[in-house]
Amino acid sequence: MKHWWWKFLAIALLLVASIAALRVPLSPALVHVSPSRIAPGEVTIEVTGYNTRFTDGMQAYLVNDSQYVCPVRVDVIDASHARIIAEVPAGMRASMTDLVVQGLTYPGAFFTEGLGEGIERGACGPRANKLDPSGLAFTFPNRSILYESIRNLHFHVPMWFTMIALMGLSVWHSIKGLGDGSLDRDRKAVSAVHVGLLFCGLGLVTGALWARATWGAFWTNDVKLNGAAVTALIYLAYLVLRGSVADAHKRARLAAIYNIFAFMLLVLFLFVVPRLNAIDSLHPGNGGNSGFNDLDLDNRLRVVFYPAVAGWVLLGLWLYDLRERTARLAEQLDR
Amino acid sequence: MKKTLLLALLMPGVLLANAQDAAPSWLENSLYGNGKINAVIAVIAVILLGIGGWLYRQDRRLKRLEDAQRKA
Repeated sequence: MKHWWWKFLAIALLLVASIAALRVPLSPALVHVSPSRIAPGEVTIEVTGYNTRFTDGMQAYLVNDSQYVCPVRVDVIDASHARIIAEVPAGMRASMTDLVVQGLTYPGAFFTEGLGEGIERGACGPRANKLDPSGLAFTFPNRSILYESIRNLHFHVPMWFTMIALMGLSVWHSIKGLGDGSLDRDRKAVSAVHVGLLFCGLGLVTGALWARATWGAFWTNDVKLNGAAVTALIYLAYLVLRGSVADAHKRARLAAIYNIFAFMLLVLFLFVVPRLNAIDSLHPGNGGNSGFNDLDLDNRLRVVFYPAVAGWVLLGLWLYDLRERTARLAEQLDR
Repeated sequence: MKKTLLLALLMPGVLLANAQDAAPSWLENSLYGNGKINAVIAVIAVILLGIGGWLYRQDRRLKRLEDAQRKA
């Protein structure tokens, strides 16, 4: 009991984080506005919200270069659909007009025609007290393109954290093993790589599925994606290299040296190369692309993300423990 | 030449993307309606199947060792 408290901790963390990752609602947002182009005259705007609670008499207006256009009529169809009828004046300054409904902004909603020197400012700007109309206390950010798939942050990313933790553990055992020439260290190193490759594979497949939902393709020639794939191949080669040497001590030394280079390449391919400013990457946090940490109110995600990472890393260590003990048993039985 | 080809390949996509703006009803239902939650379900399924499969193989490995131990 004393020695496996951390396994209970792993289960508890994973339970809490996974339930929260799936149960926390997305914050309300406007997800679709039609038409995409407005011209002077009467225009009927259809608005679709997500997790919104549209109510009769709700506030809605158009914003063009901080000048407001008030609607003639707002018809609420249901909690997430509304029809706004507005009289668009001629002479707005900016070519893009935003739409604001219930304090939620849909930026760049309309291409605007009939530009000019500005209009008479409507008397319907933002209200002073901005209460969240949904009444939801704790929510995840609702981003266009991502929508509900933002929850994958708590599943896809911890796979990579776990993989890196295991590869780090492996290289530590390799370095120690080079010092004392112990075969125990070698067994620990290869067990950690084995489980690390499992999480690497899971990270690649979950990443591909998420990419399909957001970028439209399972795989793109992105520097981060290719870096991850190359890293996986490097570690597969580590296993192949081990398989090709018969003498146990020679194998341990060779594998340990290879492992040190492999870990250096991992750091290079996953952290250094994708962050070079000269390289473009679709992947968040790379090549001039912002990570999730600058999403508005990102702390909402962090509250769930860090327990999830801790839980998955502990689960990875648990699997490593099983693998290592099995390997030790196999050595004792000389199989 | 390559760029022209690429552009020609991309053009229908751009046109289609604009066409979708005009007809939101079916798109609304399939894409915004369930808010891409299916991607999350698929990811969780992959993780559970992956770790489950790994545990199954580990179990088999251990079983083989146990059998060998019994024979020895």
